[in-house]
Amino acid sequence: MDLESFRAALDTWLNDHEGSLAASYEGTGTLDEQIDHVCTVKRLTFDAGFMRFGWPEHVGGFGGSPLLRAYLGEALTARDLVEPGLYSMTEVLAPTMIDYAAPELAAAMVPALLRGDETWCQGFSEPGTGSNLASLSCRAVRTDHGWRVTGQKVWTSLAQYAQRCVLLTRTGTPESAHRGITALFADMESPGITVRPIRAMHGSDEFCEVFFDDVIVPFDRTLGKEGDGWAVAMDLLPYERSTSLWHRAAFLHRRLQELLSAAPPGALDPARLGEIIQLLYAFRSRSRRTVHRMASGGILGPETSIDKILLATSEQAIFDLVADVLTADVSCGDDPESQRWRSEYLYSRAASIYGGSAEIQRNIVARRLLDLGNGQ
Amino acid sequence: MDGEEYRQFERTLTNATAQHTGAALDMALDDLGWHDALAADPRTAISLLCELQGAANATSCALGYVFAHALGMATNRGNGIVLPPIGRWDPPGTVDGGDLAVQGIANASLAHEGSALIVTTVGARTVAVSVPTESLALQLVDGMDPDLMWYDARGTSVLADRNVETLAGDWASAVALGRLAVAHELVGTSRAMLELACAHARSRIQFGRTIGSFQAVRHRLAETLVGIEMADAMLEAAWLDRLPKTAAMAKSVAGRQARTTARHCQQVLAGIGFTTEHPLHRYIRRSFVLDALLGSTISLTRALGTEVIMTSELPALPLL
Repeated sequence: MDLESFRAALDTWLNDHEGSLAASYEGTGTLDEQIDHVCTVKRLTFDAGFMRFGWPEHVGGFGGSPLLRAYLGEALTARDLVEPGLYSMTEVLAPTMIDYAAPELAAAMVPALLRGDETWCQGFSEPGTGSNLASLSCRAVRTDHGWRVTGQKVWTSLAQYAQRCVLLTRTGTPESAHRGITALFADMESPGITVRPIRAMHGSDEFCEVFFDDVIVPFDRTLGKEGDGWAVAMDLLPYERSTSLWHRAAFLHRRLQELLSAAPPGALDPARLGEIIQLLYAFRSRSRRTVHRMASGGILGPETSIDKILLATSEQAIFDLVADVLTADVSCGDDPESQRWRSEYLYSRAASIYGGSAEIQRNIVARRLLDLGNGQ
Repeated sequence: MDGEEYRQFERTLTNATAQHTGAALDMALDDLGWHDALAADPRTAISLLCELQGAANATSCALGYVFAHALGMATNRGNGIVLPPIGRWDPPGTVDGGDLAVQGIANASLAHEGSALIVTTVGARTVAVSVPTESLALQLVDGMDPDLMWYDARGTSVLADRNVETLAGDWASAVALGRLAVAHELVGTSRAMLELACAHARSRIQFGRTIGSFQAVRHRLAETLVGIEMADAMLEAAWLDRLPKTAAMAKSVAGRQARTTARHCQQVLAGIGFTTEHPLHRYIRRSFVLDALLGSTISLTRALGTEVIMTSELPALPLL
C-alpha cells in the first residue's frame, strides 16, 4: 500500500473509531492507566491491520514502507490517542529484534510487541555508565545452562511493566570497551531479576533500576553473536532518531496548537512565538528528511545527532513558553489540564539529557561531522 | 535534472562562481545555460547558484533573474529590475495620481542599461513599467558590504516611456521565490564561514593542542552546523509546499542562523578574524545585509507570530 492510500484509509478509520481509541482518564492519568491505554490502542490498530504495515511479513507485518508506520504514529499522536514516548518504544526495539534476533525468535516475539500484548524495555545505561555506554559492566558469563548475568541497569523505562528486555552485557574483559559487549533478550520473569521504579521529577515512575542476580539467559536469546552488542546498540539509534522523533514532533505541534487556545489574551509575545514556530517547523522538516532517508534504505549515522539536538531545543523552547504563558496553571493549578501541562513542562527538562545528552551530541557533531579530532 | 546532469551543472557553476563575480559572473551564467535551467528546474538553478555564490562571496544579478522568472518575464531582463529597498518587500514602484514614484535597490549593471523595470501594482494587476535609467537617481551604496556594488535607486514623478506590461506572475510569489534565493545564499555564506573557522580550529595550536580540541570551541562550531542544517531543512520544506509563508520562515531561519554563524566563527577565528587580512569579514558583511534583504529575520518572525496569534492557527506542517 502506498502512503497516500494508507493515509486516507487510516484517517477514515480513526474518524470512525476515535471514541474507542481515546483515553478514558483526564489529564496525564497514572502510569498504569497510560500503559493500559497504549496497549489497547496498539491492539485495536493491529487488529484493524494498520499497525502491521511497514513491518516485514515474517514478524507478522504486511510489509510496505516504514513511512506507513511513521504516519500511523504521527496520526495517533496528533489526535492525542497515544503518549508518543510510550508508543515509540516499539519503533526502537522491534527493528533491533528483526535485524539481530534469530528469525524464529523474532517471528515468535515481535507480533506480541506490535499488538500491545507485551511491553519491552531496553537495558542499556548503568549507574557508572551514563554517556559513556562502552564502559558498561553488567556481566554475562557462559555456563552450561546459558549466560549468567550479574549487574545493574538504570533509567530502564517501563521495566516494571515489561515482559522482555533487550539487554547489553559485558562478555569481554573489563577493558574490552565496545568490543566486549553482547546483547541478550531476557525474560523479565526470570529468577534473579529485581525491578525498582524511580519516581522522576515530573511525577511518573517511568524509569527503573533493574538488578540482575545470577539471571540465566539461554544462548538462543543472544542478539547477533557474542561481541556484537555495540553494533546492536548502534543499530537501534537510527530508529530512535527517525520515526520516534517524527512522532514526538507531532506531539509538540499539537501541544503548541493547544497552547494558542489556552493562552490568556495578550500573553503571547509575537516575536517569541514566531521564533518557536520556526524552530519546530525546522525540526519537523529535518525529521521528515531523516524518516525518508531511513525508509529508502539510507544509512543513518552521526548526522542524526542534529535531529536529537533539534528535538531537545524545540521541546524546551515550547515548554518554556508554556511555563511563561500559563504560569498560574503550571505553578499552582491542580486540575487535570494544569497537571498535564506541569508534567510535560518538567519532562521537557530531560530532553537534553536522555538518549545522549546535549553535550554528547555536540561532541559527536564536532568529531564526526566537522572533523575536529577526538577532543583529547 | 538527473544525477550526472546535475553534477555536471554543479561543477560548471562551482567554477563560474569561484572565478567570476559581478558582470563577469552574469556573462558566465548566460554562457553556461543557467537561464534555461531556471525556466526548466527553478529549484536546482536557484539553490545551486545561490549557495555557491554565497560560498564564493560572489555577486551577480541572480536575484533580479529570479524575480523576472517569477513574474513571468524573460529572465535575462532581470538585470534591469529594481528590487525593494533594504528591509522591505513591497513593490518598488508606487503610482499616485498617474505619477510613478520609485524607491529600491538595483544591481550595478543597471547603470549600463538604457532602461529600468519598475514593478508596481495597479488594482489587482502586477505591472512592470519600463523607465529610462537616466530618469532615476542612482547612488552607489557603500554601507556594511561595499562589494555588493548596489545602487540606491529612486525617483518621484518618473515619467515612464509608457511601456507598461502586465505580468503573468504576482508580486507575492516573486517575493517568496526571491526569499528562497536569498536564504540559499545565506546558507552558502554560512557554510563558508564555518569551514574557515573549522580549518582554523584544526590547525591553530595553543597550550600544546589544537584549539578545536577544546570543548568550548567544539560546541560553538557544532551549534553553528545545527543552525545551518535547520535552514537547509526549512528550505527543502519551502520548495516542497511552495507557500509564501513557508518561504518567509525559511528566510527567517536562514537569517537567524547566519547571525549565529557569524558570531561563533568570529569568536573562534578571534584576532585574525577581526582583520581585513582574513576573508571572514567579507562573509560577515554579506550575511548581515542579506538578512535585511526582502525582510529581516526579526520583522518576518514578528509578522508570523502576530498572524498566528490573530488566527489561533499554526501554519500547516509538511506532510510526510
